[in-house]
Amino acid sequence: MTELGLRLAITLTQISVIVGIVIVTVLLLTLAERKVLGWMQDRMGPMEVGPYGSLQPFADAIKLFFKEDIMPAGANKFLFTAAPLLALIPAFIGFAVIPWGPDLTWEIAGIAVKPFVISDINIGILYILAFASLGAYGIILGGWASNSKYSLLGGLRSAAQIISYELNVGLSIVGILILSGTLSLVKITNAQEGWFWNWYAFAFPAPQIFALVVYVISTVAETNRVPFDLPEAESELVAGFFTEYSGLRFAFFYLAEYANMVLVSCVASALFLGGWNAPYPGTLLSLIGLPSLAWIENTMWFAFKTYSFLFLFFWLRATLPRLRYDQLMRFGWKVLLPIALANIVITSIAVFIYQQLK
Amino acid sequence: MTTPSAAPTRLNLREWLKTITFYEIAVGMKATLMHLLKYKPITLQYPHEKRTLPDNYRGMLALLRYDDGTEKCVGCDLCEAACPSRVIRVVSAEVPGEPTKRYSKEYYMDMTRCLFCGMCVDACPVDALGMTREFEWAVYDKRQLHLNKQQLLAIGDRSFPVREKRLEFQHPNTAFFNVAFKHVPPKPD
Repeated sequence: MTELGLRLAITLTQISVIVGIVIVTVLLLTLAERKVLGWMQDRMGPMEVGPYGSLQPFADAIKLFFKEDIMPAGANKFLFTAAPLLALIPAFIGFAVIPWGPDLTWEIAGIAVKPFVISDINIGILYILAFASLGAYGIILGGWASNSKYSLLGGLRSAAQIISYELNVGLSIVGILILSGTLSLVKITNAQEGWFWNWYAFAFPAPQIFALVVYVISTVAETNRVPFDLPEAESELVAGFFTEYSGLRFAFFYLAEYANMVLVSCVASALFLGGWNAPYPGTLLSLIGLPSLAWIENTMWFAFKTYSFLFLFFWLRATLPRLRYDQLMRFGWKVLLPIALANIVITSIAVFIYQQLK
Repeated sequence: MTTPSAAPTRLNLREWLKTITFYEIAVGMKATLMHLLKYKPITLQYPHEKRTLPDNYRGMLALLRYDDGTEKCVGCDLCEAACPSRVIRVVSAEVPGEPTKRYSKEYYMDMTRCLFCGMCVDACPVDALGMTREFEWAVYDKRQLHLNKQQLLAIGDRSFPVREKRLEFQHPNTAFFNVAFKHVPPKPD
């Protein structure tokens, strides 16, 4: 086997493992969301399929798979088919640069492999932002191609909302880029090693806690979740941009929404909360003499942080009502944007003074 | 023309702090978290567990019989008159051979319209109608809810196993249309 073939095989393995993990996570999330929402509202959530409703995601998947695929009359066939894929692919493609384990290098048949990140590119965070913006096309085109008022209005709202809040996501990250001096997610995560006060949310010259708040709020808006779920406001727009979708195409949109949630949670934990770093220096497993298994602890910390963010998504959904459209825009442009900009200015000044003193 | 603007409010430090720390959202999130931690569902898993019905539950209507198996209904049409939704249709007829007695030759209830107010039961002078505790009457064809006399009697048979005696075998004072009401003072002789 040539070196190229081997590299290809290793990368494909990594990709399939990560896509598998993401899909399993999405399946878990659909159940977990309904369960958590139910528990918070004194209900039980799904209880019928399997013990305590644990097989509900599979029942949903089978149902969606076998449902009739309806194409509305007057729909633009090409865009109607392409839109779910346009939403799904950018949601999954971002996981390529997420470091979900320590920055190790394993030697497999003479080839150096980084097992816990598919590709450590030096503009990782820029790449994620770029593809997250592309995901909006899926929603807008899906809304337009459906030939339905509700879909079109949902798509338009989504366009305005995603453009407004993308900006805040980007600007809230800038503080971290100033602190770390790199765009690579692997290097950013490595720089947060040690105690938890080295995490960029609490890091010394300029804690990014406000940036974290801005980032979380903006990503909730960007993934079209409650309280910013205007594109799919069910009381106003039936189901927003995917009103006319059914069957597998609907499942693609659904999968894309949840994959986006996982992606932004992964990015939040990698940027602000130290990624796979434990809140203490090193790992407990290497302390008790198992340094070769320390990556398990690190990946568990990463999973814990990511799932905490995902829980926050559900928690917000159970608590908050939907914002009005003008409130949404005002909040994005007149509250979050100035905070993000002020955060950049303060971080720059703090870092400059810190470097002069050092 | 300028719109009347509100008086400029002074910067309230407390309010301002509450706003920037999302105090009110935090209160709401605490409430939902407390419900999650003290999880006590108020829902019942319906087909598996069922609520205890109240004593005066007004369920499916039924026609009743006396303990000797004869129908109570005398075909007086009062239930039809009392029904606000025109659910009931009675076709009254003389009992063959007994010109003084009547019975309901046909008795229909269109349960798609019934609102379970119980007025027919109140109106019936011979207590021939009863409300059972059945409520699971979902059907695929709504024509199945158009019930005839036999079906209504069958519902009564399965829901009211204990039957009354004929009125003439009950207390001697009890008779047709001459029931003694305790709260009405008796007529002076």
